Amino acid sequence: MKPTQVASGVARLAISVLIAAAALLPIVWGLLSSFKTPQDILQTTPRWLPATFTLENYISIFKAGTGGYLFNSILVSTGTVALCLALGSVAGYGLARFQFPGKRAVTVSIIAVMSIPVASLLIPTYTLMAEVALVNTRLGLILVYSAYQLPIVIWIMATYYQTLPEELEWSALIDGYSRAQTLWKIVLPLSRPALIAATLFVLTFAWNDFVVAVTLLSADSVRTLPIGIYNFLGFYGREWGPLLAASMVSIVPLVALFVALQRFFIAGMTGGGVKG
Amino acid sequence: MTDRAESGASIEFSGVRKRYGSTVALDELDLHIKPGEFVSLLGPSGSGKSTTLNILAGLLQPDEGKVLIGGRDVTRLSPDKRDIAMVFQNYALYPHMTVAENLAFPLQAPGRSMERDAIVARVNEVAKALGIEQLLQRQPREISGGQQQRVALGRAMVRDPKVFLLDEPLSNLDARLRLRMRRDLKALHQRLRSTIVYVTHDQSEAMSLSDRVAIYMGGKLQQFAPPLDIYRYPVNLFVAQFMGEREMNTLVGRVESTDMGCVMVSGSLRLPLGEAETWRHFRGRDVILGIRAEGIQIAGHGEVQGTLAKVRLVEHAGAEQVFFADAENIEFCGRVPADSDLRIGDDVHLHLVAHEMFLFDASTGVALVQGGQPARNAE
Repeated sequence: MKPTQVASGVARLAISVLIAAAALLPIVWGLLSSFKTPQDILQTTPRWLPATFTLENYISIFKAGTGGYLFNSILVSTGTVALCLALGSVAGYGLARFQFPGKRAVTVSIIAVMSIPVASLLIPTYTLMAEVALVNTRLGLILVYSAYQLPIVIWIMATYYQTLPEELEWSALIDGYSRAQTLWKIVLPLSRPALIAATLFVLTFAWNDFVVAVTLLSADSVRTLPIGIYNFLGFYGREWGPLLAASMVSIVPLVALFVALQRFFIAGMTGGGVKG
Repeated sequence: MTDRAESGASIEFSGVRKRYGSTVALDELDLHIKPGEFVSLLGPSGSGKSTTLNILAGLLQPDEGKVLIGGRDVTRLSPDKRDIAMVFQNYALYPHMTVAENLAFPLQAPGRSMERDAIVARVNEVAKALGIEQLLQRQPREISGGQQQRVALGRAMVRDPKVFLLDEPLSNLDARLRLRMRRDLKALHQRLRSTIVYVTHDQSEAMSLSDRVAIYMGGKLQQFAPPLDIYRYPVNLFVAQFMGEREMNTLVGRVESTDMGCVMVSGSLRLPLGEAETWRHFRGRDVILGIRAEGIQIAGHGEVQGTLAKVRLVEHAGAEQVFFADAENIEFCGRVPADSDLRIGDDVHLHLVAHEMFLFDASTGVALVQGGQPARNAE
């Protein structure tokens, strides 16, 4: 390697490290502080490592009902992902492979819907859900989340299907399989990268959402984790320990999933790069 | 595999048309293929041959006309109900299944309800017939192109269809392997006696494999006949140019008659055509003279018919040599035996073989003379 190449490599690495640090340091700080005692956290000369390592914060949040919030979050997120994938994978297939009247209009409206900010839909959504008595239910939240996320799932799936050679499907059709069977046995197994990318998209939204959940849910028993975390601000005044502990409980599962699946996630986003 | 007495099904296209927007992909196709026949659909890309195949497979719906397989109208029938199998150019092996699973897939289709043991037995039988038994547990991406090709063929054979559709199946193989697979395909057809419809843009493949060849251009079927007939009696200039290893030598001009018989006049070149009566009919008409390379030889002393030319290039082609020579700025391509001592820059007398000469109408391209005789299809 030439010296100039080495220099540019080092420069690029330095910039990457800087960006990564900016993103990660607050989280690392939060993680370390969640194991600190209250005095430790508020020490005037802040220290990275806890002086006395304690699980007290975690124990207290679970005593305060975080287990229930966690359960609700898992239930709602799983339900949303399942519904979005079930509908999106089939709808995307229709868009990718069939010509039908109004196809262009459908495609355009799917893209248009993606650009509407969720906040602007909150009031109408609330009114609608109240009409059909789904306010304050986990099912209602699943349906609303799915409605918001379905367009992007359809889009991810349709673009990925288009990268698969159509001969595979023709071959299965000629061999005596229906469209639905072909989708199930040939197309979906080959679309794993797109399915995983779509899952992570939907999951991130459903898991992290605060504003929709806080609007639609009022009973404590159905609340999801983000609202639970918010409530710690009220319940404990400014008790940073439990708040940080609850934040970590909500962050860790998602981060772990992303790390485990990031290979497929990137493949899904670049579309068709990885097959089989 | 057991030899089967029954042969394939007949295929009939009548008045089939297909358009994409304003472009005509297939124009008024009438084509009758006999049971057990090996037919090649030959033509440049976009000529309509693949459209024909896809309509036959049921992957495309024709705008007009009817398609019959084995006498049964299948025009509106879905692909799975046509009793056909298809091999695609990219083989379309399912990448997430092993070779064995790929071969078994057509047999596991819901409508077929075959016993597990029977499926295994049949897969092994086909794998053995194609010499791919040792590959059964591999994934498609782990085997070579030629092996993938065999697996694709096996997947088509496994359910014993009446009709095989092959879409340029050899075009992704290297030259030598292609020749071997060509021979194997021919042998396979001899044994199965199924009807095979084979799409290709390679005229030598079509010539060597087929009972009959259908030549397409611009969405229209030009000629449908046995390979040798097409070679000897091309109906028009396009067919004549397309068939044959090298492009035909062509010369645009007029036929004039002299005391010595007819001559072809093209610019400053005057090419004697001989005294045959055939040429006299076309005097004064704008025509194209066509001569295949095998019809242009170097004249010995004393032979009169021909013209003086200068050798520009000599290629060795195994059993013979191919040369290019200029006469009055027009290039001719001809053949001489491998041992003839021809050098670049030599002045030679070109001898035109009468029964290799063709004449076409300059504006329509319709054949007027085929192999020195009046055209069979002449007006």
